Amino acid sequence: MNLETLLFVTAGGLVLGALYALMATGLAVVWTTLGIFNFAHGAFIAAGAYIAWQISSADASGLGYLAGALGSVVGMFVVGVICYALLVKPFERQPNLVLLSVITTLAGATILESGIDIVWGARSKQLSRIAEGDVSLFGVTISANEAALLVFVIVILIVLGVFLRRAPAGRAMRAVAQNRESAQLMGLDVPKLYAIAFGLSASLAALAGIFLGSIRFMSPTMGTDPLMKALIVVIFGGVARFTSPIFAAFIVGLIEAFATFYAGLYWAPAVLFAIMIAVLIVKPEGLFGKYERTVQ
Amino acid sequence: MSGALLEVRDLAGGYEPVQIFQNVSLTMSSDTSIGLFGPNGHGKTTFLRTLSGIIDPWRGDIVFQGQQLNRPGERGSRRFRNFNYDAVTRRRMNPKLVARAGLIHVPQGNLLFPEMTVEETLSVAPAASAGRGRPKDMLEQVHTLFPRVYERRHHKIRFLSGGERQMVAIGVGLMAAPKLLILDEPTLGLSPKLRHELSAAIRTIKATGVPLIVVDQDVEFLQTLIDTLYLFDHGSISRKIERAEMPSHQEIMAMLFGETAR
Repeated sequence: MNLETLLFVTAGGLVLGALYALMATGLAVVWTTLGIFNFAHGAFIAAGAYIAWQISSADASGLGYLAGALGSVVGMFVVGVICYALLVKPFERQPNLVLLSVITTLAGATILESGIDIVWGARSKQLSRIAEGDVSLFGVTISANEAALLVFVIVILIVLGVFLRRAPAGRAMRAVAQNRESAQLMGLDVPKLYAIAFGLSASLAALAGIFLGSIRFMSPTMGTDPLMKALIVVIFGGVARFTSPIFAAFIVGLIEAFATFYAGLYWAPAVLFAIMIAVLIVKPEGLFGKYERTVQ
Repeated sequence: MSGALLEVRDLAGGYEPVQIFQNVSLTMSSDTSIGLFGPNGHGKTTFLRTLSGIIDPWRGDIVFQGQQLNRPGERGSRRFRNFNYDAVTRRRMNPKLVARAGLIHVPQGNLLFPEMTVEETLSVAPAASAGRGRPKDMLEQVHTLFPRVYERRHHKIRFLSGGERQMVAIGVGLMAAPKLLILDEPTLGLSPKLRHELSAAIRTIKATGVPLIVVDQDVEFLQTLIDTLYLFDHGSISRKIERAEMPSHQEIMAMLFGETAR
């Protein structure tokens, strides 16, 4: 393997990693705040992509790329809040919330995917690219679309990280995640913060959907496979810090790219799972995990 | 409107289906502080959690500064309580509104937010102050009261000692510009030295004009702080003792256990 191939595969891995980072962070926001795993996240990705397509595509409303992205992000925030109110809020204080929410969010995912199928049909669609042409850097040529995607994801994640660390609402969200009762006693609006967390996660899913829709074909179940990868990322990296799923996402992306190159496309998931199992045997709380969020 | 700061009428509550306390009535005015004293496991903490809206009261009313904090009326019938409480039954109290009204509860053994720094925790706290007081002044007050909190402001809560954590917890309460501060066993499990330090701080807080409800096992400490002592046992207030006739620890033991402790 020469240097050029190595760089090429690495670039592919980084792009994959950026996508996974976006999805895994969306999952992690809900997981760390509400303590549940949102199985509807994949459907959120698909719904976000379809909303963006509906607004931006020349075959539909044709309002342009930016309007599509913006409409999708805002729209998915609302969808996320509604899903929270219907799927999670009624069970919030049940002792078996984790199990209940698995079923309710799976149900939500099925309903959303079927809804997309009914509204837009099963025919594959594609979103327009962010940028056309190619970019060359250090002797590797990747499409400008993928380069833009990489940059956008990093910017979005930095903004999100700063929001969670510095903004009052972000700090309040972290507070609620760590001790619900103390947060209540401090006068924080817990249901509102939960709703914001869910909406934010759905908005991140929408962004992931927009990016995914520009590099692959869209279908109502387009989110299922990336959701599984994001799941691996979250478990692989742990959620002790905001950054741990992000690092894990890039590692998973790189592993996948190299596994695809060496072992072939069909073996890549198997290699990924094998590595994940090996990591979890040695370090059950995840690669970067320090403590595990215990389930009450 | 009566001059009472807090009026609790015939309050009852517990954790479904177990009732923990009943028939609790008390009134306090804004220039007094009260203490609750009683054996462990007799419902003091549950009563305070009901007062701040963490759990719903079963019966009775809580009136704070002339404003009724609970939704009036009886709680739902048993048939509806047996369904999913959050979906079928309306909550009778909202802890957010309680805190924003100025009734601030510093819970027992407060764990706060383990992964947040002291500074971040204190910056979240003014949410409950609802415009009363400037956060900057409050922060200064907390820092002068507990210099240790200032020293450790960049450390995560989980690296603090129990005493430091308790200081932060009280500081969080102060940041909310309380009109009534509830301290549930503020000196629980602390060394005598820290106990002494915290007691002094709590007396300073009282001197700034914040009324207190204090639960503690140390009657001598309570005596220096409060005007009325309520004995709380078997889930209700069994006796009300004014400051003048406040008994010693020995006498209280005798009252509670029916015989003179040796």
